[in-house]
Formats: sequence, structure tokens, C-alpha cells
Amino acid sequence: MVAVASPVKHAVRAEDVNLYYGTKHALKGVNFAAPSRQVTAMIGPSGCGKSSFLRCLNRMNDRIPGAKVTGKFEVAGMDPYAKNADLMRLRRAVGMLFQKPNPFPSSVFENIALAPSLHYGIKGSTLEGMVEETLKRAALWDEVKDHLRRSALELSGGQQQRLCLARMLAVEPEILLMDEPCSALDPISTGKIEDLISELSKDYTVLIVTHNLQQAHRVSSQLAFFMLGELVEMGDTEAVFESAQSEVTRDYLSGRFG
Amino acid sequence: MAVLGSSRPNQAELHGRDVRRLRHGKFLIGVATTVHYLVVAMTLALIGTILVKGLPAISWEFLTSYPAEGMTQGGIWPMLRGSILLMVGTLALTLPFGLLGGIWLAEYAGDGRMARTLRASIATLAGTPSIIFGLFGLAIFVLKLKLGTSLLAGWFTLALFSIPIVVLTTEQALRAVPESIEDGAIALGLSRWQTIWKVMLPSALPGVMTGLVLTVTRAAGEAPPILMTAAIYYSTEKLSLGWETLKKPVANLPYHLAEGYRQGGVIPEKIIWGTCLTLMLFVLTINLFAIVIRTRARKKAGW
Repeated sequence: MVAVASPVKHAVRAEDVNLYYGTKHALKGVNFAAPSRQVTAMIGPSGCGKSSFLRCLNRMNDRIPGAKVTGKFEVAGMDPYAKNADLMRLRRAVGMLFQKPNPFPSSVFENIALAPSLHYGIKGSTLEGMVEETLKRAALWDEVKDHLRRSALELSGGQQQRLCLARMLAVEPEILLMDEPCSALDPISTGKIEDLISELSKDYTVLIVTHNLQQAHRVSSQLAFFMLGELVEMGDTEAVFESAQSEVTRDYLSGRFG
Repeated sequence: MAVLGSSRPNQAELHGRDVRRLRHGKFLIGVATTVHYLVVAMTLALIGTILVKGLPAISWEFLTSYPAEGMTQGGIWPMLRGSILLMVGTLALTLPFGLLGGIWLAEYAGDGRMARTLRASIATLAGTPSIIFGLFGLAIFVLKLKLGTSLLAGWFTLALFSIPIVVLTTEQALRAVPESIEDGAIALGLSRWQTIWKVMLPSALPGVMTGLVLTVTRAAGEAPPILMTAAIYYSTEKLSLGWETLKKPVANLPYHLAEGYRQGGVIPEKIIWGTCLTLMLFVLTINLFAIVIRTRARKKAGW
């Protein structure tokens, strides 16, 4: 027997993924793997399927009527599409940050405390400690520590996105999915989120969809280029930026189309 | 420009058009403003009349004492008490059914033929004249279920009248919660029910509360549903709260007003106006409560 050495541990693997929205074939035979505790960026023109692919991983596509997914998956050691898949467990292990900040219309504290108290029954001072801890990890604590009981909707857009990040971390996931998390933010807020992503990749596997090539370059170590529902190319970010294998990728990265 | 070519109007024509457009807009705004003031004036006239005529009759004494001397003197406590009783029970019955019905329609029913039929039926029910509910209550609760003309039959009838409306307002309030918020909750691994109960419903609470309270206070002011199911013209009885109370008919403000006016001459006009104002204040007070709760909920949520 030949032992196949696998130096890289993958937190996300997907083989031959096809996604249909009704009759629309949105993902075509995608093979994808994201290494653990690294940032994998997914880029490509609008409608290329990168967000759709992300939403396959925590089965948020279930919420779209007519969506059908086929393929083999392994996400955080689980098969999301197994017959007896525990979706709540899957989504506890796989957090998601959305394009637009979507804090709940309740206090800053409750935004973070809700999920851990429901999932793990955490209460009282433990809960308070956890809220503080996650807010610190999201670099938001100093800005909100005196207003924990104020509504989250009073925060700025950038603060709201970091709150959503903290809210996600409070569930203690392994994988963080980010769907263009900075597209609604100004450059300074974007910078803060990017710093956080780099910091978080020490402990988490991060998959980020972005339209911003510079951002992909700055934050990621792996790069996946999607086009018309296909995964055209995937590899080390530097390598792909330096010398992409496919001509389409080179054209896209050089800004010839977008 | 090239697209329009020679058909492009010249500057003078364009200016003339602008002037006409602005004049047209001003005219419409004028109409809207006038209509607005008319509505305000009518409302003020209504409230003003009732206030002017009713206020002299109202006193703590009037609200808390029993009618005396064949209703030519004394107060209207039994009627006010009856209205409160009717409303509390209606609220208690409407709250769970209206809420759960609304949740089901908004979150579980989907958009299939069955759901659409159901939604249309509920909308029809919500628009059904209240006297129909009165007759239904008489046939089913009073006669078939042998509850008799009673507080209980009144509760059921008024709840039947209120539930469809509350189901619809609750559904609307839940649907108005942005989908992104629901997505956020689901993505955190909350179950469907946790998402609805812990995130959606609190977000929709101001709207849900408004629908509930407006509907129940409207029900409390309705005479037709209780006309044949629960109401008696007047009462001078002391109230002993117990199971017996449920089986007895109740005097209440709207029916007292209707009957008191119909039997013209028995009750002095001043007392009728006083009763009128009391009913108005009763509804207003409850709405005020609702506004306070709603404002708090909204402030807490921040929207």
C-alpha cells in the first residue's frame, strides 16, 4: 500500500458540486478544498456562483425556493447533505457573515448573548464574560463597553459588521464564511475588518467572497477564481496573482473584464 | 439629443412645460392639504362635541357608582365593569390564537393554493360585518353549546370577531421583518422556532402589539357581536367574581348606549353623553397603554 501523504488538512472539501436554481445551472462540477486555519478568497465576476457556493456549505441555499444541490461535501468534519444531517450543529460549526450587516433589533449585549445562551445554556457572569471576550476579539469592546444595553441599530455600519462578527464567534464555530463582508462599508471600516480576518485566521478557517481583488490579495493565502458557475482556478494567492494557469484568470486579474 | 433630433422641444417650450408641471403639482398638494384639514376638522368636531356634552356628566362618582332612580341618576359602573370584563377575556382568547395563527401564516403556510385560499378566507372573515359574528355566536355558543346569553358567549363571539384581524396584522408585522435578520438567526444555528420566537417576534413586536390592541379595543366598542350573545341593557348588581359570572349576561358601554338611546327619554341626555365619553376614554386609555408599551419595545429595539 502506498501511503498518501497529506500535509495539508482541509476544513472544507467539495467534489463535483452542482447547484440548480430551478432550471438555472448555477454551479457546474465544482471541486474545491480550503485548508484549515487559512484564509481562502473566492473571486470572480458578478453572478459567477461564488456566493452561491459559499451558501452551499452551511446550507443557506435551502432558504431559496427551487434550489437543488448535488455533490460530495465535507465541512468541519460533517456532511451537510447527509440524510440525517443536523443543520443546527452544522451552522454552529460554520458561522456566516453577510454582505450587509444584519444585527438583530435588540441590544448589543443580546445580539451576542442570544445564540450561546440558547445553544449552550450559558448564563449570568459566564455569559457576560463571553460577551466581553467576543467583543474584544472583534475589536469592538472599547467602542461599545459603555453601551451594551443600547440598541445595536444605533451603531455605525462598520461597528454593526464587527458586532455580527462577534455574534458569530460567540457560537464558537470552526469555519467562518464571509459573503462580501465589506461591500457596504467605508474604507476605514473595511481596513478594520481585514485586520480582523488576518488575526482570526490563526484560529479559524476563513472563506471570504469578495469583489475586491486587492482585498483578496491582502487577506488570503488561497485564491479561488469562479466564472460562469465553474471553478476556473485555485491555488496559492501569490502564485495565482503572479502567474495564473488559465488565460481567463489572467485577464480577470489584470482588470480586462469584471 | 441625437435620438430626439428635430422633435426635441425648444427651451421656451420646455420652460412652459415646467411651469405647467409645477402648477399642476401645487394644485394637487392644495387639494390634499384641504382634504387633510377637513378630516382633522371632522375628528375634532366629533371629539369636541362628545367632550363638551359629556364632560359635565363625568366624575369619579359617575364612573364608580350604580345607576339609581330608574337610571335617571347615579353612575354607570356596572356597564364600565362589563366592558372591562368583556375586553379582558377577548384579549386573553385573541392573543394566543391570533399570534399563533399569524406566525403560522407568515412562516409555515408557504404560498401554495391551500395557503392562499386560507389567507383569502381569513381576509374575508376580517372584513365581515360584526353583526354576522353576533348571529353566529347566538346560533353556536348561546343556543347550540347552551352557554346562554352570557359573558362566556360574549368572549367567544368577540374573540371570533378579533382573531382573523389579529392573524392578518401579526402576519404583516412578521413579514415586515427584513429577511436578512432571519438569515442571521438561521446562520447562527437557531432552530426554526427559536428564530421565530426569539428573533422574529421580538423584532415584529411593535407591529404585533399595535394590531392586537387596536383590534381588541375596537371589539370592546362593538355592540352587534354581543347584542344577542352577552349583553343586557343595564345592571345594578354587585359583582361577585366566580364561575357564575361567566354564565351571566353583562351590561356594557356600547350596548347600554345603543339601547339607552333607542328607548329615548328614559335616560337623561347628559348621562348618555357621559356614557359616550366614557366609552371613548375607555378605548383611548387602552390605546394609550399600547402606545407606551410599543414605544418602549421600539426604543429597546432601536427602530
